[in-house]
Amino acid sequence: MKDHTINIGAQVKRGSAELAILSVLSDGPLHGYEISKRIERQSRGLLRFNLASLYPLLYRMEKRGWVSGNWEGPAGGRQRRYYRLGPAGKRRLVPLREEWGQLFQALHTLAGVTHA
Amino acid sequence: MPDWRAIARKKLGPLGLDAKRQEEIVLELAGHLEDLYSDALSQGRSHAEALHSAFDAASDWNELRREIQLAANEEVCMNHRVKTLWLPGACTIALSGMVLRLLQNPSAPVPHVLGPWHSTELVIYCWWLVSLPVIGAIGAYWSWHSGGRFLERALAVSLPALGMVCLPLLMFPFVLGYDLIRFHSFPFVPMAILLFGWGVLPEAALLVGGLPFLRGQSGQVAASH
Repeated sequence: MKDHTINIGAQVKRGSAELAILSVLSDGPLHGYEISKRIERQSRGLLRFNLASLYPLLYRMEKRGWVSGNWEGPAGGRQRRYYRLGPAGKRRLVPLREEWGQLFQALHTLAGVTHA
Repeated sequence: MPDWRAIARKKLGPLGLDAKRQEEIVLELAGHLEDLYSDALSQGRSHAEALHSAFDAASDWNELRREIQLAANEEVCMNHRVKTLWLPGACTIALSGMVLRLLQNPSAPVPHVLGPWHSTELVIYCWWLVSLPVIGAIGAYWSWHSGGRFLERALAVSLPALGMVCLPLLMFPFVLGYDLIRFHSFPFVPMAILLFGWGVLPEAALLVGGLPFLRGQSGQVAASH
């Protein structure tokens, strides 16, 4: 059976990965593993991140101020780095959603491609 | 339970970042691997299958290391290039243009680039050429002082002359086509003079001035020793 899973790192441009991460973080802070699982679940398994596609992108987004990462966890327990959407990330999310909406609209008009 | 931290540290290798940041990244990746492993176990998979599942998420550690390094140095690279190439290069371009214009009578037209030149224009050109080593030295020093590598220093010095050369070369096909259609000939000699007079000679003059700062290490490297 043909595998229709989209490998984000290899095939989808960085913009779509940024949109995916910003979108899931708009619901609240998440750590890296949760981000990847949430995206996989909400895209019904179509979008998957591996370590090489997720963390470098998170570090880039953090550097741009779109997200902020903080170590959190119970005292004496396991610490995790939670990412939150920053004001710049919220501002970035709006045009990103519009751009991708327009792109899908254009593809739909052109080739009958619809949203998943 | 495998020691995920040790595994991540070993597989990732040195990132060239400060020790605290490196350890944070190792800890974060180790946590991700541990979550993958624990999830697989909780789904009823065997220890070996769970390990396989965790390692599948990071099959290419070299790529991961490279991507993290690129992400960490993205801003630094951009700033570095601006400081060592674009700013000194813009300075040499601006200075060479300003000096040429100052040498001219402001009311006079810009010297012909394809000739024939009058003696006044030739004098202006020569004075401009004499000023270029100083401008080249300024650009090279700026780039050298900002930590520019040899290529960045050389490019920062050469940008005015490169611009002078690139423009005619871009125009070349159009001029060639136009002249061949209109006059059935092409002004090879004037074009060669243009390239030599506004490209090769200024380039040589700029490089002569910049030479003391083109050799050896950058200023920041030298200062750190």
